[in-house]
Amino acid sequence: MSLKGYIVKRVIYIVPVMLGITLMNFTLINVSPGDPVIVRLGLLHCETPECYNSAYNREAIEMGLLDNDMYTVPWFERYIDFVNDLLHFDLGRSWYNTQAGVGIPISQLISERMVYTITLNVLSFIFSLLLATAIGVVSATRQNSIWDRSLTIAMLLGYSMPLFWLAKLIMLLSYSLFNFTGVVSKDAFKTPLIFNPNFYKYLILPTLALTLGGLVFMARLVRSQLLEILRQDYVTTAKAKGLDNRAVIYKHAFRNGLLPIVTIIGSSLPGLLSGSVMVESVFGWPGLGTLFLEGALFRDYPLMMATNTIFPLLFLVARLLTDITYVFIDPRIKY
Amino acid sequence: MATVDKVDKEEFLLDEKTLREIESMKGAGQWSIVWRRIKKDKMGMLGLYIVLFLIMMALVSWILLMVDNWLTSANLLLGDPNNPASLNNLYIELWYPGMDQSNPIVLFQHPRYQFADQSTLPPSWEHPFGTDRLGQDMLSRVFFGASVSLALGFIGQMTTVIIGTVLGSLAGFYGGIIDNVLQRVIEVLYSMPGFILMIFIIVLFEDVQIPGGKYAVVIVFFSLIGWGGTALIIRSNFFSLKEQDFVEAERALGASDMRIIFRHILPNSLAPLIIIITLGIAGVIFTFAALAFFGFGDPNAISWGDDLNKWQNNLLDYPWMPMFPALFIFFTVLGFNLLGDSLRDALDPRLKD
Repeated sequence: MSLKGYIVKRVIYIVPVMLGITLMNFTLINVSPGDPVIVRLGLLHCETPECYNSAYNREAIEMGLLDNDMYTVPWFERYIDFVNDLLHFDLGRSWYNTQAGVGIPISQLISERMVYTITLNVLSFIFSLLLATAIGVVSATRQNSIWDRSLTIAMLLGYSMPLFWLAKLIMLLSYSLFNFTGVVSKDAFKTPLIFNPNFYKYLILPTLALTLGGLVFMARLVRSQLLEILRQDYVTTAKAKGLDNRAVIYKHAFRNGLLPIVTIIGSSLPGLLSGSVMVESVFGWPGLGTLFLEGALFRDYPLMMATNTIFPLLFLVARLLTDITYVFIDPRIKY
Repeated sequence: MATVDKVDKEEFLLDEKTLREIESMKGAGQWSIVWRRIKKDKMGMLGLYIVLFLIMMALVSWILLMVDNWLTSANLLLGDPNNPASLNNLYIELWYPGMDQSNPIVLFQHPRYQFADQSTLPPSWEHPFGTDRLGQDMLSRVFFGASVSLALGFIGQMTTVIIGTVLGSLAGFYGGIIDNVLQRVIEVLYSMPGFILMIFIIVLFEDVQIPGGKYAVVIVFFSLIGWGGTALIIRSNFFSLKEQDFVEAERALGASDMRIIFRHILPNSLAPLIIIITLGIAGVIFTFAALAFFGFGDPNAISWGDDLNKWQNNLLDYPWMPMFPALFIFFTVLGFNLLGDSLRDALDPRLKD
């Protein structure tokens, strides 16, 4: 099979998985106790039961739980509606984020916030990948040296540190050193972002926290992979034929170590996304994670459904990309 | 030719050392070999000591709390057991027959009782970990929080591992359609970032009333969605083991499938299971602490994660309040990670780096 055919097949394969995920989430919402309409009405003050009932019905119709003839819409019809809307890139309206009594379209909410999450995640992913490679190479090539030992212990300590707590500690440290907590304020997001120095200032600490979080995970893997490979026969051959150390490591060992590393990075992506939720919420970074947490705290089901669709989709696409990069890393793999 | 002799000698010495090691291992069972390997690993032993210390702490605190409650409810100590604010219930106390009821041995401040005049005290001799805003002793909170925090980790991990093992062995042993369905389900579960899915579920099932409180709901759903990793490992283990001769021999003897699975293949998969459990507990404690940190825990429970959540915004002005619960979460995760790494090296030396 050609590479193109393989990619098409994988893209099509995403569809049933996404259907499974949305179906699971939808079922969970529907078997859960509690009436979302009452949650939405909240502390609505009514003198008479009629007033409350009419408000209830109005909201229920608005939320799509009742049809115009006051019949309950069966959950599978709502699911089919949801999927249908999804195929038209319509994620529905938020229940909690309202403007003049009408919910803001979720696609608008998400497109506003998407850029922040992507900036933060891509930046910290690149930094942590580069640093992890450097640390992994240093400790694998100087195994059992003082450098290796101290780096390994540092990685182990970082690995056992909860990410949200690491973010808090970074905040404390920065506060005591620079009197700057890194909790974002309004002036950080004046557009255009690229020319806004405040944006970069507030980007530093969340990026640092997320970078460290990913770094400790990846550096261990790079180290153990490289050690495994440095024991192989072809490395001995390369050394025996008189290549200098640098060439042996980067031309022979490292390139062969890339494949397993890429696999593990690909499968650790949901962890990175979860980590981004934690770091975003500690620093008040207005990304998708914060949006999701806010939605969860106020039981905004459409918003939660939307984020629960987007995060897995991001993950599936990222995994597809890692699978495609195999082809470029390892010429033996053919599709 | 002195150099050559020297090299030969060195090689010979090394060989002798290996031989001695082999000699010492002779006749020892697999587990005693594993134990000797762990004993040699300093970091692993450190992890083991940390884990043992924490388990002791959890058990002792649980027993003390039980004894105190029992003594109070049996009217051996003064005070109303259902009201922690009752004047005679401020401390964890010990009492033995013949002792004056109003003057028992005072061990600790009760983790729930709030001394209004002692709030936000920094660490001192009287309160080694300081006190929080409500006037609760942090040392007592941390000490009694151990039982809930560790129990959550153990129970959560054990249930996931049991579900994963059962499903993974069925899929690995029978293959075919069971295996296919299982793989698709795991794929769907794995595509959701676990932490986000957990928050989603906790929010949805907030109002469910089952015995054990909020954390029981969390554990049920955690084990329902978290078994995928274990199932995949056990499944691949079964795939390679079921082709081996000893399974074939057992089948020829007329053993039932259940006997083959539980008496023969599963014991051979014990090593990966032990590693999964030890390393997994660290992950579960981490996840539950994170959930509590973001306000999805049980605010009435005494656990490290919930205390961390309560005082996280006081980090800059009263750092000791959130610092000590966080420190204990860190030590727990560190201990289980160290022990798990060392167990992995000892059980499967091929993986050693």
